[in-house]
Amino acid sequence: MERLSLSGVAFLMYFFGNDQTLVFAGQSCATPFSMGRSCFSDRYERFVLNEMTPAASSTGSPANSQAKTPAGGALPITIRDATKAYGRIFALDNVDLDVRSGEFLTLLGPSGSGKTTLLMVLAGFTRPDYGSIKFGEREIVRTPPHKRDLGMVFQNYALFPHMTVAANVAFPLKLRGVSKPEMDQRVEQALETVQLGGYGERRIDQLSGGQRQRVALARAIVFEPRILLMDEPLSALDKKLREQMQIELRRLHDKLGMTTVYVTHDQREALTMSDRIAVINHGRVMQLGTPNEIYERPANRFVADFIGESTFLPVSVQDGVASFGGQALKVAQLPRGDHELLLMLRPERLHLVTNGEEVRDSAVNAFQAQVREMVYQGDSFLMYTELEDGTEVTVRGMTRRDMVSCLPAIGDAVQLALHSDDTVLVSAEGA
Amino acid sequence: MSDLALPTSSSSLAHSNQQELKRDARQERFVLFSLCSPALLLVLIIMVLPVGWLFWLSFLGEDGNFTLENYQRMVESKSYARIFRNTFEVSLLTTAICILIGYPLAYFLSQLPRRTANLCMITVLLPFWTSLLVRTYAWLVLLQRRGLVNEWGMDIGLWDEPIKLVHNLTGTLIGMVHIMLPFLILPVYGSMRAIDRDYLKAAANLGASPTQAFWRVFFPLSLPGLFAGSLIVFVLCLGFFVTPAVLGGGKVIMVSMRIATNIELFFNWGAASALGVVLLVLTLAILGVASRVLRFDQILGRGH
Amino acid sequence: MGKDKSFSSRSRAGIAVAAMALAAGGFVSGATAQEKVTIASWGGSYQDAQSKALFQPAEKATGIAVTEETYGGMSDVRLKVKAGAMTWDIVASGSGSAARAGAEGLLEPLDYEVIDVSNFYPTLKMKYCVGGDVFSTVFAWNTETYGENGPQSWADFWDVEKFPGKRAYRGKVAGALEPALMADGVPMDKVYEVLSTEEGIERALNKIRELKPHIAVWWSSGAQHAQLMKDGEVDMTTGWNGRFDVAINDGAKAAYSFNQALLDYDCFAIPKGAPNKDTAMKFLAEISKAEYQANLPKYITYGPTNKLAYEIGKIDKAVAEKLPSHPDNAKLQLPVDIEWYGKFEQKASAMYQDLVTE
Ligand SMILES: Nc1ncnc2c1ncn2[C@@H]1O[C@H](COP(=O)(O)OP(=O)(O)O)[C@@H](O)[C@H]1O
Ligand SMILES: [Mg+2]
Repeated sequence: MERLSLSGVAFLMYFFGNDQTLVFAGQSCATPFSMGRSCFSDRYERFVLNEMTPAASSTGSPANSQAKTPAGGALPITIRDATKAYGRIFALDNVDLDVRSGEFLTLLGPSGSGKTTLLMVLAGFTRPDYGSIKFGEREIVRTPPHKRDLGMVFQNYALFPHMTVAANVAFPLKLRGVSKPEMDQRVEQALETVQLGGYGERRIDQLSGGQRQRVALARAIVFEPRILLMDEPLSALDKKLREQMQIELRRLHDKLGMTTVYVTHDQREALTMSDRIAVINHGRVMQLGTPNEIYERPANRFVADFIGESTFLPVSVQDGVASFGGQALKVAQLPRGDHELLLMLRPERLHLVTNGEEVRDSAVNAFQAQVREMVYQGDSFLMYTELEDGTEVTVRGMTRRDMVSCLPAIGDAVQLALHSDDTVLVSAEGA
Repeated sequence: MSDLALPTSSSSLAHSNQQELKRDARQERFVLFSLCSPALLLVLIIMVLPVGWLFWLSFLGEDGNFTLENYQRMVESKSYARIFRNTFEVSLLTTAICILIGYPLAYFLSQLPRRTANLCMITVLLPFWTSLLVRTYAWLVLLQRRGLVNEWGMDIGLWDEPIKLVHNLTGTLIGMVHIMLPFLILPVYGSMRAIDRDYLKAAANLGASPTQAFWRVFFPLSLPGLFAGSLIVFVLCLGFFVTPAVLGGGKVIMVSMRIATNIELFFNWGAASALGVVLLVLTLAILGVASRVLRFDQILGRGH
Repeated sequence: MGKDKSFSSRSRAGIAVAAMALAAGGFVSGATAQEKVTIASWGGSYQDAQSKALFQPAEKATGIAVTEETYGGMSDVRLKVKAGAMTWDIVASGSGSAARAGAEGLLEPLDYEVIDVSNFYPTLKMKYCVGGDVFSTVFAWNTETYGENGPQSWADFWDVEKFPGKRAYRGKVAGALEPALMADGVPMDKVYEVLSTEEGIERALNKIRELKPHIAVWWSSGAQHAQLMKDGEVDMTTGWNGRFDVAINDGAKAAYSFNQALLDYDCFAIPKGAPNKDTAMKFLAEISKAEYQANLPKYITYGPTNKLAYEIGKIDKAVAEKLPSHPDNAKLQLPVDIEWYGKFEQKASAMYQDLVTE
């Protein structure tokens, strides 16, 4: 309590900039703002995420490690040339996509980008204009939905309101002629899997949103489909529940091991849950890759913009050297091709170098800027700065107890440092 | 206030404003109640009182004293039992035919795009704008021995002798179904429109063929509407007068017609009231049994 | 619509709760002790005819102010009598209903010292009511089906060999049993005698049972049986003569006969507790006179109850010959026995309904 209010006072003091000396404690401020990195002396020691996905790190178990594959094994999905036009709008525009057997693949894109259409084409509710869809070796593009044998969780759950929870879950089993004792046992098992054991006799309208979500899931997996489709299944839940369900869904996938195609427009959700993400826009796959690839090496401006926050600076390339405003850039990798290129600045990858200090590290690009505004967000802070050419650039840092002593004031000139590994150039296309 | 109540009241006084808040709540309830009181009064006046009056009258004899003769008569004369059976039979048949015709029609309408459906709905509702008597007589003109249907049928050579289409049960049912159909279609259509298509997609996805999806998901979900519609039709049929009187040729005698006859015959509301009471009680009993069997409270009670 | 005839009452009587609409009239005169009567009838063209032929001329002649109302039949009278709040002085009624209402004590006995009925047909008045107009229940036939040589008696009406074709018959007992007995060979003057036992009623019912397979429609109103003939829906029916006249004038291919027809009448009565009983009696005496009665056929094809009406030259000869109460027609007919209805109608009705619903 006390500490909190103290730091609050300190923050206010900082914010109104009425005590310069306190804010600028000079050299005593060993560690200005960094993101979990120690300080300038050993700065930019990179915490390498490598191929570890955020999802894997949050669940603590790498994908598929202990996968219990469904009967007959998970199935890969091969989508070729899938196209669907509504009038002049291409909801799907020659989509080619391979979903690996047993993977958790997320279709991520803004609203209206064609995610649902693609999912509906997979489920058989939308007939594409042309194209090929294969589950394993089987071409199913002309198979009616009820013969596709895949599980699906609808955005609004579509639980049958005239049936109990158990009857909902038993529905697919009944249609498959499963015997009564086996059915009961499998229903209960499925409900237990989604942590709803003993809820069988409830009516649907007696359940909370999260519980409905789980019933929908139980119903979609109870017949052990080899493919599971989910269309924004968590969008109706509040934030906390949504985050909890993200982890649960991922765990469940790891446990059951079916090929999962998941639709969301929430980039954080996609990053959290997926083995791979297909970023979609205007009915086209913009990039397919692991969350890390998508985040760290976006293929174009659209992907970079859609995932995470970024500021883009125009970059010119000459003789294999990229430069911004006359300043040559040390870059991780120079994209091939002769697209127009942009420098992507992620707020959390920029570091503040306080006045008087110079950046000598050879692997760092530095930019001159002026502080415009500061926003305190509890765990982190945002600093809005302006480059010399007038571009606004945001810097994000983690807050620390003693940070008040290290912060610059509004109007101060600062240097923004960017490690060459974080200096990513993206194609200006696809915006 | 008694001494015994003192500890509780003193402890309740310890909470600030407790009494006042309680009083506010009471006042609020009272105000809300007074707001509905005109409606309650209306219900009392137009529903409860007349039915009570009906009961009372049914136990009055011609001399104005208490008697069971009005009920006794119903037991003694064979025609009453027949008329009641007839009334329920005709009502059930009408309801059944309305369901058979109306349900598929409503289903068809519910599958159309909304604007087309609305247009079609107007044609369904069109009969509402014509007087019942006119429609009934129109059927008489169409169906009678030298009516249009018989003349055309014989002209085309479908049949040689005029067939009996009216002045019997057939004619009565045709007329009643025609008049009752909108009462069935409207609620059924409404409940069908309210069914989210995702339910059917979900059913298909889970392995249900279109037929299975219809019977296991769509049909049960449309039941509240079907039930409401059937109930309205059935109950309205029970009290039907004009159509059976005109199209039944005196061969289809419903309770309402007998009520009218009895008032003339006995100048006595009691004789007629008793019929009304028995009809009311039988109807309630049938609905009671039906609600048990069909458990429609569960279907209807389902809310979101 | 016109008038629905019945022995006991009107078919619509029980259907509608009578709208107690005030008809024209009121207290216009400035005379202090002006006499007045309130008359309740069935409204429609029937009451119009009554009003024009009887009430208005009598009002003018006597100075008794007339207020006209409509009502739903004797059941309304009963309610008012029981409530002790009678507002009507005179009610128009079917003869049978009046007889039973009288027996039940709902009506005042009429004073035939005041009302002169010396020129009435003797059957057209009784203790509690005095005849207002006369009509007949006749058999009518389709002239296309049978030509002009249609059925001449009730026996012919029953003879489906000689006169094949569909029949319509009344759905209520009133006027339904007498023709059956006549068809069964009972002489006209013995009909009510035979009917006065349960066996006699059963005999009539059995005769109707015989005809039942040929009865396509059990009619319930005058409008209906007229329409049935007009449309050719049935080939033969019973019904009220006035209705058939209207239908025939309208182009219906139909004819009817007064032979063995049932001569019946509508009447006026004074309800118990009438506020202006004595004035009402005077007014009834006035409208029973031949000069008023002779007005009736101008407005409706029902006959006067006062024989003198035929003699004062007010009615066209051609018209007179078609009226049910014309002496030539009246003598062919069986006057309806109101007493029998008072005694037996309810019992007979129950048996008749059993037959119809069988
Ligand atoms: N049934 C339809 N009729 C017309 N246009 C449609 C239909 N379904 C989708 N679209 C259009 O196709 C595009 C993709 O839609 P959708 O797949 O639902 O996007 P998302 O799920 O990514 O939000 C949108 O522009 C949408 O308007
Ligand atoms: Mg969508």
